[in-house]
Amino acid sequence: MIPCTEVYIMKKSALFVTADSKKCTGCKACELACFAEHNHKSNGVGKTVGTVTVPVTPKLYLVRDEKFCLPIQCRHCEDAPCLAACVKHAITRVNGQVYINEEKCIGCKDCIMACPFGAIALFPVSRNGEAVYQQDTDQPQIVASKCDLCMDIEGGPACVRACPNNALRLVDPDEELLDKHLRAAESLMATL
Amino acid sequence: MNRYVKANPELCMGCRTCLAGCAVAHAGENFFYGDPDSFDFNPKLHMVKTLKLSTPIHCKHCESPACMAACINGCITIQNGVVLLDQEECIGCKACMTACPFGAIDMVTLTEVRLDSGEPKIVANKCDLCHGIEGGPVCVDVCLTGALTLVEEEDLNDMLERRRVEAARALDAAIFE
Amino acid sequence: MIVITIDKNICTGCRECAEVCPAWAIEGEQGKPQTINTDRCIMCGQCVQKCKSYVSLITHGADAYEKIRKERGLPETVKEPLFAAHNVTHIQEVKAALADPNVITMVQSAPAVRVAIAEDFGAPLGTLAAGKLAAALRRIGFDYIYDTNFTADLTIMEEGTELITRVTKGGTLPMMTSCCPAWVSFLERNYPELQAHLSTCKSPQQMMGAVMKTYGAERNGIEPAKLFSVSVMPCTCKEFECSREEMKDSGYRDVDAVLTTRELAWLIKDMGIDWNALPEEDFDHPLGDYTGAGNIFGVTGGVMEAAIRTGYELITGQPIPSVDVTPVRGTEGVRTANMQVGDLTLKVGVVTGLKNVIPVLESIKAGKCDLHFIEVMTCPEGCVSGGGQPKLLMDTDRPEAYAARRENTFVHDENLPLRKSHENPSIKMIYEEFLGEPNSHKSHELLHTKYCTGKNKWK
Repeated sequence: MIPCTEVYIMKKSALFVTADSKKCTGCKACELACFAEHNHKSNGVGKTVGTVTVPVTPKLYLVRDEKFCLPIQCRHCEDAPCLAACVKHAITRVNGQVYINEEKCIGCKDCIMACPFGAIALFPVSRNGEAVYQQDTDQPQIVASKCDLCMDIEGGPACVRACPNNALRLVDPDEELLDKHLRAAESLMATL
Repeated sequence: MNRYVKANPELCMGCRTCLAGCAVAHAGENFFYGDPDSFDFNPKLHMVKTLKLSTPIHCKHCESPACMAACINGCITIQNGVVLLDQEECIGCKACMTACPFGAIDMVTLTEVRLDSGEPKIVANKCDLCHGIEGGPVCVDVCLTGALTLVEEEDLNDMLERRRVEAARALDAAIFE
Repeated sequence: MIVITIDKNICTGCRECAEVCPAWAIEGEQGKPQTINTDRCIMCGQCVQKCKSYVSLITHGADAYEKIRKERGLPETVKEPLFAAHNVTHIQEVKAALADPNVITMVQSAPAVRVAIAEDFGAPLGTLAAGKLAAALRRIGFDYIYDTNFTADLTIMEEGTELITRVTKGGTLPMMTSCCPAWVSFLERNYPELQAHLSTCKSPQQMMGAVMKTYGAERNGIEPAKLFSVSVMPCTCKEFECSREEMKDSGYRDVDAVLTTRELAWLIKDMGIDWNALPEEDFDHPLGDYTGAGNIFGVTGGVMEAAIRTGYELITGQPIPSVDVTPVRGTEGVRTANMQVGDLTLKVGVVTGLKNVIPVLESIKAGKCDLHFIEVMTCPEGCVSGGGQPKLLMDTDRPEAYAARRENTFVHDENLPLRKSHENPSIKMIYEEFLGEPNSHKSHELLHTKYCTGKNKWK
């Protein structure tokens, strides 16, 4: 039997979430859902707003241009510049996805500089519903944070589930390619 | 966010003017006219040259610095967006030097400060963004090719916003079907 | 007065709120900050529930949160995200009254509060916490812990009697419920010509306010001028209702301040009360005594079901065959049923979600509606889904939240020893000692009201 992880490894491309500007209204439900789902366990965030005691720290960011809006999040690049930039080896590939180990991150900002999408941001760390301070200081622990594709979260990417307009979707590039190939091949038949 | 100096290896020609500028600024006197043995040349940045590139290496003024966590003496603190090392308090334990993943901290000899044994004091040394020095950071100022820039929170946020908008425009222009 | 407002510095202009607004009150271009047209807004707070545009570290900066929290007058202990659409809070007035030794405080809390407030302390959605709620109110320092469920029972006596009178003596039919202030505002603003269809009964909140400052004050030997009456509501519009100029039949303002369910949770946290360690306690006698019928006011169809339980027995003199009046239960926007009550076939309708009421109102206007009695609630599934209830972080949890709050409202009803309003001994007592009989002169003075008056005289 092949262990589950190998299925991922056999895939050529990492998955990612992308947004459709034609559907996005800019409501930020994705940002809030991202924060909520990532903080259930670590910060006791329940189902309601009243259970939140820490700053909202999403891993995707709504961008508003003159004519449209959509959230930007990590594309899980195959030759990820952030991963190459991280001297602490805090950014690694886990099951094919690019992942920041926030425990290892020291906030040097190199990954942020490296990412061409602006998908990484600095955020204060909270645990058990309270801000984390650096050992023996009054300085808040600040680390880089980015989309981890909700890897430990049941139901998959929270942003995709929360969008009221279905503007977000999880892309499996290999599978989509296969679909597109088949469709293209079938359409060729029509040109005979 | 903490400020820091960012180097561009493509512009750097490895002339070490930044190192000299740093050392002079922190010595507080122009020692080029003095006796070469009468001062410590302790720049707070390091020149790296390989066959492919040349660039100075500075402290990144990390948000959650490994050096600060490693220092048991409380010599390393964050003040007004700068990671500062207090050389007077430093006992030279080298924990910070080991902790820093960039090699931005080295150990230097302070010849004018003597230990009880008479030996010169050896302490950790790192970029302080020319803390207390007017017109700093000097390295940025003196670089002949403009390879060094001071990155402030506003710059980073502007850059993030610009990149996000660019990425969003690209996505909008080519909606995945 | 402003009840609901949108912070234009925070609003992203997504207009998701305009989608849920039943009164077309939210105006603005897509992508631009929205404003609320206060002439149209009925203050139901559904936009407050919907808005996800929060005060963000990234967009608004590190200092924005504290600044906005202060501007909105929220306690320092509030740490939860703040959103563009919000209701104006009166929590500081309540805190001041609690701290004033010369003021005696009486509090009431609505049926839907007890199945939702625990959510803000991390309990599963819809957890029933009537006992803890009473205990928390007592720990906060309210002097008398009364319950809107009592006046829900009283409403049934008054409104039921009014309905029987209208049906038997030929009054304006269909009669429509008047417990939901957002619905009343909607009718006043958009269909003022139909005001005669509204029951003249005040809402349970306002009945309780009037009763507290008369009967309640008398019974407890308190000078009503010293009383500060607070109500805890799942609703943002209740604040507007209690400030209506005609709502002072006790000789004082009947209800002085309203806290929403969320605001009560803030107050509990602000007072340093450990919710999880609270024991189960009872509401105070007699204005905190209630039956299951009063409790189901919190869900759509609940007022109707409670009215039928009592109406059936008062008209026929027989016990109702099934206390659970399932034909009026459900969550669909419009439901109708024919109830056989003795010789009379009572035709009833239940409307929830205000947008669903428009066809009903149009049919009444056209003279095509043959119903006798219609319950109308503004919010999607009645008060359990009210604008002041704990706000969900993810709207995908809404069906589960509403279903659980609803379910536990009925569980509470089933487990109460009395389930019919007219059997409530304290209701019998207040009629014997104070009011006389339902729809008596005194009842009319204290418990009934007029519409389209004063500032609310629309069109």
